[in-house]
Amino acid sequence: MKTILLSFLLIIPVLGFSQSFQVNLQGQKQTAMGGAGAGLALDEAAVFFNPGAVSFLKQNGVQAGAHAIFLKTAFNETGSPLTEYNKNKVPTPFAAYAVFGSPEGRLRFGIGAYTPFGGAMHWNEDWTGKYTVTSLDLRAIYIQPTISLKITDNIGIGGGLVYALGHVDLKKAIPYTNNGQQTTAQLKGDSKDFGWNAGIFIKTVSGVSVGVTHRSQVTAKVENGEANFFNPPASVVPLLPTKFNATLPLPATSTVGFGFYPSAKTTIALDVNWVWWHTYKDLGFYYDNGTQTVSPRNYHDAATFRAGIQNETTSFLTLRAGVGYALSPVGEGYVTPEVPDANRLLLSAGIGLKPSERFNIDFSFLYENVKSRTETNIETNLSGTFKTVAYIPGMALSYKF
Amino acid sequence: MKSTYFYKGLLALSIIGLASCKPTIDTVAPVKGNADFTRYIALGNSLTAGFADGGLYLEGQKNSYPEMIAAQMKSVGGGSFSTPFFPDAQFNGSGYLKLTALTNGVPTIAKETSNLAIRAQVGGVNLFTRYTGNIENFGVPGIKLIHANIQGYGTLNNYFERLLTDATVGTTTYMDFVTAKPWTFFSCWLGNNDILSYASSGAAADAPTPKATFSGAYSAVITKLTSKGAKGVVATIPDVTNIAYFRTVTLKTLLAAINATPAGAAVKDIYIQPGTGAARAATAEDLFTLPLSSDNVMGKPNGLGIPYGLDPRNPVESKYVLDKAEIAVVNDYVAAYNTSIKSIASANNLAVMDAYALLNEYAAGKAINGIPVSAAFIQGNMFSLDGIHLTPLGYAITANGFIKAINAKYGSSIPIVDVTRYRGVKFP
Repeated sequence: MKTILLSFLLIIPVLGFSQSFQVNLQGQKQTAMGGAGAGLALDEAAVFFNPGAVSFLKQNGVQAGAHAIFLKTAFNETGSPLTEYNKNKVPTPFAAYAVFGSPEGRLRFGIGAYTPFGGAMHWNEDWTGKYTVTSLDLRAIYIQPTISLKITDNIGIGGGLVYALGHVDLKKAIPYTNNGQQTTAQLKGDSKDFGWNAGIFIKTVSGVSVGVTHRSQVTAKVENGEANFFNPPASVVPLLPTKFNATLPLPATSTVGFGFYPSAKTTIALDVNWVWWHTYKDLGFYYDNGTQTVSPRNYHDAATFRAGIQNETTSFLTLRAGVGYALSPVGEGYVTPEVPDANRLLLSAGIGLKPSERFNIDFSFLYENVKSRTETNIETNLSGTFKTVAYIPGMALSYKF
Repeated sequence: MKSTYFYKGLLALSIIGLASCKPTIDTVAPVKGNADFTRYIALGNSLTAGFADGGLYLEGQKNSYPEMIAAQMKSVGGGSFSTPFFPDAQFNGSGYLKLTALTNGVPTIAKETSNLAIRAQVGGVNLFTRYTGNIENFGVPGIKLIHANIQGYGTLNNYFERLLTDATVGTTTYMDFVTAKPWTFFSCWLGNNDILSYASSGAAADAPTPKATFSGAYSAVITKLTSKGAKGVVATIPDVTNIAYFRTVTLKTLLAAINATPAGAAVKDIYIQPGTGAARAATAEDLFTLPLSSDNVMGKPNGLGIPYGLDPRNPVESKYVLDKAEIAVVNDYVAAYNTSIKSIASANNLAVMDAYALLNEYAAGKAINGIPVSAAFIQGNMFSLDGIHLTPLGYAITANGFIKAINAKYGSSIPIVDVTRYRGVKFP
């Protein structure tokens, strides 16, 4: 009875945002250009976009920026005339970079801190899907010291070690009440893991620049995470776990990017990302009372196509715009309300202001339109239509030295 | 204009924009299609009345599937709907079973005896507080299909008696009572007790209604219900042998419990008295009833010192066992009844809610909106503590089954019930 009771308590899924829970907001200039940038030596964010391009940056500098994600998701249960919405909670992924070393020399150093995975999805506590999830807060902060070497005047390579700090906080209702109050479960934990990021940057004789990068998978392991229960019936309390272990793959991403320079003032970037999501086969939680819940995910690899343009209109103002299309890694039957993912269109724009030679301000705005998707999840049988749009303004400050 | 005003204005505008631009999803507007839900009446037995946990009580009545359907029908022209509720002060109605403890996962179940709606006892039978208001939910616990046209059935069934008056109790038939006022739509889930009473008594009492009798009686009921042009939905009989009542106490659990005692460590067989023939060792193909556990008789020695159930000379009584041969009989009758129900429904162009298929689907284990559901006792979320009747969640699942069948047949779009609003078994 004990194990049977628990097996239905904790079928807990996870996690999400922007091609599932990958977040592609690592630089304001690049965000404004559809998220492309692996084929450019644009600014300090090259630490993330292509460590091989860092040694081609004309100046050293430091920059810090953040985005605000206004995520609007609607859900309509099949057969119901009601549409439910997620709550307004605005996650603010950030990115900060510094590049130093001699711009005249071949060897440059960089360090970056950024949030390549994350999500914040909050539903009302009594929504239709409350037994699948009521809220998710997920973030992975990568800290990446980086070395970049200009092998020749045209070829640079670079790489960085990634120290990944993960945090997850997942809540859902469980089908008990205690004195009329819903019982809820919370799984909360942190992880510390390692990965790496490497890239090659080539300036071809034709003037086109090419970048190839790979960011490794980080396998985020939560050990001794907290399993908390609110309002459980007293009779059930002795059966509940208090700790859990879980593993979540933060997938590898390979990118090929190109830079085109139609004029001295204009840059065009094209990127294709290949995200190795297939390693996300299931999400298993293993509890300290010997029970476990393993939720199938069966993601598949998926590509994103990105294009962006920037024009240095005046010495003060740079205009940017971009477009992208991200294919969803989530197969039919696996869509979950914490990651109501589908193929999505990205439209972006931005401006860069240069009050002084050293000081820059960049603004970006990204609009994501996630296709409407009607699905029945094979595990929970939650059946309905999800539709998501996201509005993501951002700003960064940078200082050159 | 100074550029800072421009940027501040842009920022303010964009924040307002971001807060308001929610995506929309095109949803189906509720329409009644070609049915008329002005007055919906529900015919049936305990399942229709909202019986649960071995009793009829106010919470169960409020969570009956007809109440749920009627609430949803309101958006497509449905009128008021009344279930003969017990009075608020007597909300525990007939009394019911409740879970009072879980000790190492083992449940303790006790009877609720406060705030009952019992007005008198006659010949050992409780008479319940009478209900005199409007009725649209005509679910009467215990009623069989073949009782529907018995004159004076109120004298045989205390749940029907409470709906009548002293003047009518000895004369009225169920069908006359139900059809006394005009109706525009009906649901009919009669027939379960024509086989369930036989099965739940371990086939030791109450013979199944003969198949031809069932078919004739069903036809008569449907003829009456459709005689004024009303449309409706009928439900099939669930798989009686696939309910928690028969799937909780098993040969395996019985042996495990006996083997766990010092004296019973060597026991390998449980002996049963089948419906026909000599006592024999039980196999995994025989089903035991839930009361075999709660009556606490296993292993008790009789006058000769022979332990109950562990020796062919003192076997588990037939009333606790639906043996393999009896299961075949039960299944045969259920299949025949359902064939009749479907063909009569088809002949009268009625919607069919296939309760047999629906409840088997969930009994086998299937999540709904993230809630795991199965036929498992207590933790399966579907069956109440009597192992036969449904929990509010189970009733919500059937309500949606009815709504989907109605919508499919009549081109209506009655909104489904949000099942997550309804509970499974209540834990202490």
